[in-house]
Amino acid sequence: MSATTDTGDRIREFGAAVTDGWTRERFGLLGALGLVLLAFGPSFQVYLFTDFLVVALFALGFNLLYGYTGLLSFGHGLFYAGGAYGIAIVLRDLGPVFADVVGSGISPLVTFVVGGVVGLALVVVVAVPVGWLSVRLEEIYFALITLAFGMLGYSLIIQDPAGLTNGTDGIIVLLGSVDVGGSSFRISARRTYYALTVVVVLAATYGVWRVVNSPFGTVCKAIRESPDRASALGIDVRHHRWMTFILSAAVVGIAGVLRAGLASVASPGLTHWSTSAIAVIATVIGGATYFSGPIVGAFVFLYIRWGISRFPTLEAYWELFFGALLIAVVLYFKQGTVGGLLLLRDRLLGDDDASADGDRRSGGGEASGSTDDTRPDGGDTS
Amino acid sequence: MTTVLKTEDLRKQFGELTAVDGVSIEIDDSEITSIIGPNGAGKTTFYNLLTGVLQPTDGAIWLQSGTGGGDLVEITDAEPHEVAQAGLSRSYQITNIFEGLTVRENVRVARISHEKTRLDFRSRATGDESLEADIEELLELTGLTDIADTPCDTLSHGEKRTVEIALALAIEPNVFLMDEPTAGMNPTEVTEIVSLIRELDEDLDATFVVTEHNMDVVTDISDRIVVLAEGSILAEGTPGDVLTDERVTEAYLGSDSV
Repeated sequence: MSATTDTGDRIREFGAAVTDGWTRERFGLLGALGLVLLAFGPSFQVYLFTDFLVVALFALGFNLLYGYTGLLSFGHGLFYAGGAYGIAIVLRDLGPVFADVVGSGISPLVTFVVGGVVGLALVVVVAVPVGWLSVRLEEIYFALITLAFGMLGYSLIIQDPAGLTNGTDGIIVLLGSVDVGGSSFRISARRTYYALTVVVVLAATYGVWRVVNSPFGTVCKAIRESPDRASALGIDVRHHRWMTFILSAAVVGIAGVLRAGLASVASPGLTHWSTSAIAVIATVIGGATYFSGPIVGAFVFLYIRWGISRFPTLEAYWELFFGALLIAVVLYFKQGTVGGLLLLRDRLLGDDDASADGDRRSGGGEASGSTDDTRPDGGDTS
Repeated sequence: MTTVLKTEDLRKQFGELTAVDGVSIEIDDSEITSIIGPNGAGKTTFYNLLTGVLQPTDGAIWLQSGTGGGDLVEITDAEPHEVAQAGLSRSYQITNIFEGLTVRENVRVARISHEKTRLDFRSRATGDESLEADIEELLELTGLTDIADTPCDTLSHGEKRTVEIALALAIEPNVFLMDEPTAGMNPTEVTEIVSLIRELDEDLDATFVVTEHNMDVVTDISDRIVVLAEGSILAEGTPGDVLTDERVTEAYLGSDSV
């Protein structure tokens, strides 16, 4: 009984907040409307935006470990690939079995859901031992061991000792069509897959947001700031890092599942270090110290790449543009795009509500960019 | 008169160098004990041995379990977080707080650790009313209420030193090791921190152990002084006895003048 009144109260509160002015709720509503409208946009734009959402979730999961806990992983491609291969193998090997059990009409959907769960489970199974070993190391050594695990996964997938991954070709991912009550739709149709991705990514993002604002996430931030101080307060730093590693890998695994469906293939390149680097680059461009940093960074990354691809003469050099952009961000905008935007907003609106923003996690980015704030690497003095 | 912390023949060897050489002390809960000594006497190494940051080459450490008359339990080979959970807390000579977080968030981390809710990833960090009340109480006790929501990297040195103390106290320790609480402070800040330490010692159950370079502070707050020199105990006793001891003045004037 109390639950229903709670929901009623919440809806009323939400309504009041929307009519109240430019509140968070009104922006949220507009954002949701934008997402719905986008589904009716040009087909390629729908695809590009879906791509952005998947990369955003990839970077967001990565940043749980980097920006929030202070560990730079160069091997998260392993978990991206884990999710993709998990669903790809289920679709290939168990698809026909499911069709027999639940009927061919609904089976593609069932297979997709089961495949996603298997992909996620596979990632967790891999992340438990990999994380356990990796968190024994810190800083550059942590980056190197995760890089090594990523490349180990890469060669295992290519060598394919168990005959599961189909070597360098990867596994084709065919999502199929669902037939229910006479109407049928393809899961992999751009607009359908877009809607599915929006729901999954929003839910996962909300989950990550809850985690970083929970007691667990608070302890993560403390470990980022000073691991030895945290352990002197009774926190088992290694264990906490391990748990964060697994959680971070799981989020990346969900992104990997979505990637497989979007690209229609699970390919070994997903676990190559250059894929892991996408998460790093997107996070750095967006701003690792902000929750929204990796999301904004993924947006900038993909849309700049798309912009460049419109000019065939430039396209051959798109990596050069990114190199230049990255140098500019690292040198002049340590807080990334989000930090730059907040700075701009503060300049335009006056400095007063600078600290009122719920998204901000630290006191960085005041008036000038010169105050040194290399937060994620930890303020460890010893 | 209860012993809350005890070491027996504690020794730490770094290669050829013996940084701590057979130190046996007993800390009593009715006194503020100061550990003093010239630079390089082994004070910080001694603290690092007690708190599990370094493993002793030899010897043993015991800590009273729970406040008010628990048994002594051995913590010789415990890891830092286990030592802290057992009830031994410390503050650092070089300020070591969570700079990027606010004062309140700093204390919240310590309370989460103490309440053992660090693995709770479903509730809101700020959602536990009794936890928030505890934080508020501690901020008030240490005089940090006014700057509670300030990010620590914008605080003054003296304020940071106070946060350092608040953090260590937030886990409700039996024994509180303070490593040079007045390091780098101006005279006003020193007076403030000394009166804070006195107040806290009266209000709380924790037993205070202090290392300090400032002799005025040492004589002011200590009931008992242990002098370390070259890794071993040179003298111990009441401030009156120790500071008039010729060997002590010699050790100080011999290496660096105070």
